[in-house]
Amino acid sequence: MTLDELRVGQEARIVDITLSGAIGQRLLDMGFVEGTCVKIVRNAPLIDPIDLLVRGYHVSIRHAEAKGVEVEPL
Amino acid sequence: MSRAFTVAVAGQPNCGKSTLFNTLTGARQFVANYPGVTVEKRIGLFAHKGDRITLVDLPGTYSLTSYSLEERVARDFLLDESPDLVLNIVDASNLERNLYLTFQLVEMEFPLIVALNMMDIANGRGIDIDPSRLSDELQVPVIPTIGNRGKGKRELREAIWAMCVDKENHGSWVRVDYGEALESVIAPLEVKLSRQAHLASHFPARWLAVKLLEDDPEVRKLVTGAVAERDYRLSHSEQGKDSIDAGE
Ligand SMILES: Nc1nc2c(ncn2[C@@H]2O[C@H](COP(=O)(O)OP(=O)(O)OP(=O)(O)O)[C@@H](O)[C@H]2O)c(=O)[nH]1
Ligand SMILES: [Mg+2]
Repeated sequence: MTLDELRVGQEARIVDITLSGAIGQRLLDMGFVEGTCVKIVRNAPLIDPIDLLVRGYHVSIRHAEAKGVEVEPL
Repeated sequence: MSRAFTVAVAGQPNCGKSTLFNTLTGARQFVANYPGVTVEKRIGLFAHKGDRITLVDLPGTYSLTSYSLEERVARDFLLDESPDLVLNIVDASNLERNLYLTFQLVEMEFPLIVALNMMDIANGRGIDIDPSRLSDELQVPVIPTIGNRGKGKRELREAIWAMCVDKENHGSWVRVDYGEALESVIAPLEVKLSRQAHLASHFPARWLAVKLLEDDPEVRKLVTGAVAERDYRLSHSEQGKDSIDAGE
């Protein structure tokens, strides 16, 4: 499944980044790599952004971008 | 005699770069633009033990790829102007993410010094960082600071100056190990690139190799441009050979 499908409070492990180009690179630079754990802090359908906790800090990303992150719920 | 040095200030967004820049330079600042783009270039000065140190505040970037304008501006400044020193501001409360940029600077083999900023926030979160241990691991000076309280200012100025005047001043010897699979590709590429004399004299061959593997468009242009120029020169020199190695 992808990151945008997770509910608030859920935790998951990143399996793959399918986004390419500048946004994909930015996520990699911020530490979104295979095996990294993410926790959903805020995620409302149709309302951007999704708020995430990754490696101890908060990141906001759009649903469209979160769709490019394959995860495995923990 | 008074000497003049240039120090580039690099860091990830929101690490406290501007705060430390202001603390170090005080009111002696002016603003320009980077060539051809509207990204603001903040320049500041301070004097230490009779020498003049110019600081250039680079745009805050997570990394130094060539995907965004800010990153290209920061990277081009570093590569084109070869500053005497890079001051890397690191957010101690976000060490893991911030060190990613640090390792890119290490890989580019710049003389480097790290300001470990936001130490109060890190401590408040129960994060205990040993600056001297970090310094040993990175093989560069690490100075703890609290930018908004001016803490560490004196030590940082002294360390910047000491690095600038040190003739032996070089980058860290630390090399990132990318593991078997990648190293077996990086190593031969690095050897080939290091034989390209006019590339290797400007850029670390290993850094070029890693960037080529990332398919970095700017580095690809740089390398193909250099190879094309070599071929041109070879075909136009009478003996058909000059000092540049003709290997692939
Ligand atoms: N608690 C604490 N706050 C700090 C420290 N250093 C800077 N700040 C604060 O952190 C905020 C961001 O600092 P800036 O200097 O604007 O950060 P920057 O890296 O220039 O940010 P951008 O240019 O937006 O990327 C400001 O509110 C500063 O006052 C520090 O060591 N401790
Ligand atoms: Mg700033």
